[in-house]
Amino acid sequence: MAQVISSSRARWYDPDSATLDRRIFSDPEIYQQELERIFGRAWNFICHESQLPEPGRFFMNYIGEDQVIAVRDRKHQIQVLLNSCPHRGNTVCRAEQGKTASFLCSYHGWNYDLDGSLIGMPGENQFYRGDFDKKAWGLGKAAQVQIYRGFVFATLDAQAPPLVDYLGWVGRLGLDMVASSGDIEVLDGVQKNRIKCNWKLAVDNLYDWYHVKVSHGSALRIGLLTEESMAPDGQMVMLGDYGHGIGGPGLSQAQLNDFVERMGNGEEPSKWYDLQAARRLDQRTRDELGPVGARSLGHPNIFPNLWVTLTRQLCLRIPRGPFETELWWFTLLPEGMPEEERRMAIFIANHMFGPAGFLEQDDGENWSHSTRGAMGNATRKRPLNYQMGHGQDTVVGDPSGQNSIETVVNEHGQRWTYQSWQDWMTADDWPSLIANHTPAPTGVV
Amino acid sequence: MASLANLPLAERMQVTFEAQEFTFHEAALLDNRQYEAWLDLLTDDIHYWMPIRRTTTLKEVSDEFTQRGGMAFFDDDKNTLTRRVNRLSLARAWAEDPPSRTRRLVTNLQVVEVSGDEIQLHANFQLYRTRLNSEEDNWIGRREDLLRRVGGVLKLARRHIYLEQTVILSQNMSSLF
Repeated sequence: MAQVISSSRARWYDPDSATLDRRIFSDPEIYQQELERIFGRAWNFICHESQLPEPGRFFMNYIGEDQVIAVRDRKHQIQVLLNSCPHRGNTVCRAEQGKTASFLCSYHGWNYDLDGSLIGMPGENQFYRGDFDKKAWGLGKAAQVQIYRGFVFATLDAQAPPLVDYLGWVGRLGLDMVASSGDIEVLDGVQKNRIKCNWKLAVDNLYDWYHVKVSHGSALRIGLLTEESMAPDGQMVMLGDYGHGIGGPGLSQAQLNDFVERMGNGEEPSKWYDLQAARRLDQRTRDELGPVGARSLGHPNIFPNLWVTLTRQLCLRIPRGPFETELWWFTLLPEGMPEEERRMAIFIANHMFGPAGFLEQDDGENWSHSTRGAMGNATRKRPLNYQMGHGQDTVVGDPSGQNSIETVVNEHGQRWTYQSWQDWMTADDWPSLIANHTPAPTGVV
Repeated sequence: MASLANLPLAERMQVTFEAQEFTFHEAALLDNRQYEAWLDLLTDDIHYWMPIRRTTTLKEVSDEFTQRGGMAFFDDDKNTLTRRVNRLSLARAWAEDPPSRTRRLVTNLQVVEVSGDEIQLHANFQLYRTRLNSEEDNWIGRREDLLRRVGGVLKLARRHIYLEQTVILSQNMSSLF
């Protein structure tokens, strides 16, 4: 039985040859299935609690192509509502964020409370003759809304397992990397821009420490970054069930100890990781991240589309059809951060990423041209190569449970993303995904 | 400090003409990819800023833009602008290699205040970019500039850029506004 499932799974990503059918970046039917089977089932990042400080505060986001309103209701609960009036389907909220007393549909005036329940509509007695079941016609809602360390997630699937189980240790560690050491808040201002690429190519790229020196070589040559810090040879990868992963630079225990000692003695930063690892100086943070996690300076992805950056940012990759993706940048800082540190953190966030960022500027064209390469009749039939490091590395177990691959620049994260993506796409529902998904690898990978 | 309306017509014409000359010259330098020469037009203390804009209800429209000191698309000084210019002249800075073709239309120039050596200038702009075979971007917005006379020559001391788009409908903003 397992063999049958395994062979039917090899339609797009072939784990034996580590090659990928590039039609997954262009086929409109596959895209529609993704909306159903991935975005419709996953726990999707919606916002951070700090963005909804009091009742009536709302923030608009998307689950796949479904627009949703995250709002704090009168009981201080966070609701995630479908932004579509059940009467004619019109949106009931048009602002990206703000504060409101209710959501009033601009078409016929149906009015919804902050928890999505229908308060009333014009002509309730005169035209509907007082014979209308308002309780049955509230706004649609996410099936479940749960919060992990202030990060609000929602799923449209009532069968989805609890958020903490979904995230697993890798997803939780990914969020801990930005949330560790106290309360954090989202700064006002989410940068948003559109790239003509398939969303998965943007996700693929966050694990890609191979492209950095080529795609972003200009950042080296204008003196913004050093070669050593851009794509260090020492890399760590951690893979978690359902497609979560963390991949990128990693420190050895000796490097981490040396860092803690030098910085603890008040020495000036001198090694490439001294600034990137800055938060690891705090013993509490190291304890929180765990013995292996504390050594990782990699990029987490919360499957499917939430990248946690090294610059205290989250980047959400929202699909806009098979050929277009919207990038949303959230910047998170600890509450009560010293003014000078805060100024520097905002400077880095504003200048590295976002559409005008020194690094980010160069990515879009690569992803859009890769997407075009999945459209040509001849090119789309040729598989893509994901063989870097395939079968060359070993997952090392740690007594803490934090298993990791310690290696050089590699494509483990990308392979894991497509393997997991395929598991999601071939599962009929959550029980079947739970039963049949590829477990996080052990041994040789 | 003089609100322009209080000045005699001849003075208004003169300062407006000077501001226009500066602005058109500056746009031509950027359109012609003469980035080093463009840098020379900036004061050493320039602040070049483009906040993030959001769709809000009419009632909350005062929150439309992010505030200074917070998140922004551009929040640059002479140093970071110099790096942007250096990037634009590098081979394999891929966003601009092959280079984009840009054209700037700067209109509705309004000198709103003259104060000593400084001129506050408001203008509308359209920055059209096309690159490769068929890619097109169109950014339209308003600029609030501060021009300053340094050694008798006008320089740009401040530029605040307010785009009309909220979601930037472009893969990047590698151009200068």
